[in-house]
Amino acid sequence: FFFPKYGGAPGGPAFPGQAQDPLYGYFAAVAGQDGQIDADELQRCLTQSGIAGAYKPFNLETCRLMISMLDRDMSGTLGFNEFKELWAVVNGWKQHFMSFDSDGSGSVDRQELEKALVNMGFRLSPQAVTAITRRFSTHGKITFDDYIACCVKLRALTECFRRRDASQQGFVNFQYDDFIQCVMSI
Amino acid sequence: TRALSPPQGFPGAGQAPGAPPPGAYPGAYPGAPYGGGPYGQPGPYGGPPPGPYGGAAPGGGAPPGVDPEAFSWFQAVDADHSGYISAKELKQALVNSNWSTFNDETCMLMINMFDRSRSGRIDIYGFSALLRFIQQWRSLFQQYDRDQSGSISFHELQQAFTQMGYNLSPQFSQQLVARYGQRSCPPSIQLDRFIQLCLQLQSSTEAFRERDAGQAGSARLSYEDFLTMVVTRMI
Repeated sequence: FFFPKYGGAPGGPAFPGQAQDPLYGYFAAVAGQDGQIDADELQRCLTQSGIAGAYKPFNLETCRLMISMLDRDMSGTLGFNEFKELWAVVNGWKQHFMSFDSDGSGSVDRQELEKALVNMGFRLSPQAVTAITRRFSTHGKITFDDYIACCVKLRALTECFRRRDASQQGFVNFQYDDFIQCVMSI
Repeated sequence: TRALSPPQGFPGAGQAPGAPPPGAYPGAYPGAPYGGGPYGQPGPYGGPPPGPYGGAAPGGGAPPGVDPEAFSWFQAVDADHSGYISAKELKQALVNSNWSTFNDETCMLMINMFDRSRSGRIDIYGFSALLRFIQQWRSLFQQYDRDQSGSISFHELQQAFTQMGYNLSPQFSQQLVARYGQRSCPPSIQLDRFIQLCLQLQSSTEAFRERDAGQAGSARLSYEDFLTMVVTRMI
């Protein structure tokens, strides 16, 4: 998966061994001069990498969500390290999805989604589960892309909360301004 | 971040139709019920009993209380003649100033607002109300779009928020423009995403308010509570 012609891509590899990283090939193939990828480029990158496998590749909105999940510097783009992190996370979710998609159809039903979420460790109230399954299903089915979008949102919200839960008690005293920023940036 | 203080005077009173009274929270929500239900006027949402308008009415006139234009539009949009419009069909009917169709999330949000049957679709009455709702938003959007560019810039968004009674930081507005704006230079927000972000702001604010027992601008939330609040309102 290494594309030798990209060995010297955007300013060259940033760290020793980066050029040998198979992921770097996919990344460099779409990243421009700035060595960063935006939502369109991420979509292309993930499609080319085949991470979606037999499933439909991610739509642009899901890619945008994925970027915002990891975009620490609020640039709207991902650098290679953030991309690597994303890759690992998405692969994990994919394995999980596949384990529930027993017939390999590319979609799971609501009960399976609920099981998958619980399995991932999300403690969600019944209303939350209902809201999620309603939002992310089409005709009672949740596709791989929608599943990823759902996971991204839940993970981003969880990180948001955890960062503010200094004592790790599971409670946060939110100020309105902070809450609204947190929630609207997902 | 400092605690909220009530807006001075009542910002937005002149701008936002049907502005509610001032409080610790910004409260001017254009698009909020204008007296009567979410349809802007008391109306027979229950609908007349199925009669000549039950099912597809080929060449029939508009049902009572429904604008004839809305009715013909409905018929054009209801591609499969089911008598209902889904988010997907709705999407095809609504365009921004740059001719892009409304985004999926805004269509879904609006269908949910006007869908009494919780079926994910709306009938002619819901559609007719939805069109009025969009018209109200469109005129507000045009007011805030001071340079008439067809989209809302960072500065225009800041002014819009102030007029709506929100007290939000410039950094936050910056983030919203980055998140909801198109990738033009500089980024700016089209009508669909403007509606989306305002509705979500309103909804999240209400959710927070419900949990702010002292109305002081802060709320203690458990993780599950937080997730539920956000997921049921935002998503």
